[in-house]
Amino acid sequence: MKMGITCVAFIGPQNNPMYLRSMDPATDDHYLKLHYIVHCALDAVEEKVLLKRGPSDSQDVYLGLLYPTEDYRVYGYLTNTHVKIILLLDDEAPIKDEAVLRVLRRLHSLYVDTTSNPFHKFGLPITSPRFDAQLEQIVALYPRPGASLGGFTT
Amino acid sequence: MLRGGPAGARNAPSLEQINAEVFTLTYGSIVRQLISDFEDIEEVNKQLEQMGYNMGIRLVDEFLAKAKITRCSSFRDTADVVAKQALPMFLNVSANVANWNPDQTECSLILTDNPLADFVELPEEYRELKYCNVLAGVVRGALEMVNMEVECRWVSDMLKGDDCYELRIKLNEHRDEKFPFKDDD
Repeated sequence: MKMGITCVAFIGPQNNPMYLRSMDPATDDHYLKLHYIVHCALDAVEEKVLLKRGPSDSQDVYLGLLYPTEDYRVYGYLTNTHVKIILLLDDEAPIKDEAVLRVLRRLHSLYVDTTSNPFHKFGLPITSPRFDAQLEQIVALYPRPGASLGGFTT
Repeated sequence: MLRGGPAGARNAPSLEQINAEVFTLTYGSIVRQLISDFEDIEEVNKQLEQMGYNMGIRLVDEFLAKAKITRCSSFRDTADVVAKQALPMFLNVSANVANWNPDQTECSLILTDNPLADFVELPEEYRELKYCNVLAGVVRGALEMVNMEVECRWVSDMLKGDDCYELRIKLNEHRDEKFPFKDDD
């Protein structure tokens, strides 16, 4: 069964990977592939950021669809501290931007809560079990393909 | 989000307020700094308790000045006042008093919400750390200033997986007022 969100990744300000999680049970090879896709996505993020340097553009956090690959679509989100949240979607149905944006906002909020932990070390990979559990909950909120989109509350 | 007296409560005094997150993050930094200074977790626990004690001996005056309560007639009253008036005034949380022993000299303060420990996740290596030990010190210091010698220790801690924060208070001695001079002077 195809899931909506396949993979979530958090990349730090120096492009250091902080967290990468595949929602499908994955093998090592699969993880390599995901790492590779996320890495390429970073280039797309840089591009979008450069394009937005114009004085007319506001500080936009949501970068939208970065690029489609053969299996996935990659969405990006850039925080003011240059932390990037990358989402890989496995869905063939037309994606609603607002749904993706809601998930990304919640992920951002979860990230902020986790870094507020006094024992959290910046820049190092995120290992907190609470983070894992809450991430799963947030991802579960994203409507699966075929499910009705009604009743989705923020 | 602000912390201060609960709105609409009968005894709500007006106090200066501080943003709750600033408070939580400041306390978190203090604990982190103590750990890196002392490195021994037991020592850190002692330091937190001592800090709490120093705060408690000063806080009790502020509390008594602002709260306008009458004299407590028993330790039971005291525990109620701490749980229902002092904690809401300073931390904006209220606690329940429970688990009295038959002598009425020991009880537990049960908190379900603790602003000191918001967002905190205790890593494995700090399992022995009593993160909220400063509160134990505050209660001990405050009660000592009103002539009750107590011992406070944590029995449950949500950071360690329990379902509430439980502080056990044991009354050791009720000292009489000490006068600074003798009668036959």
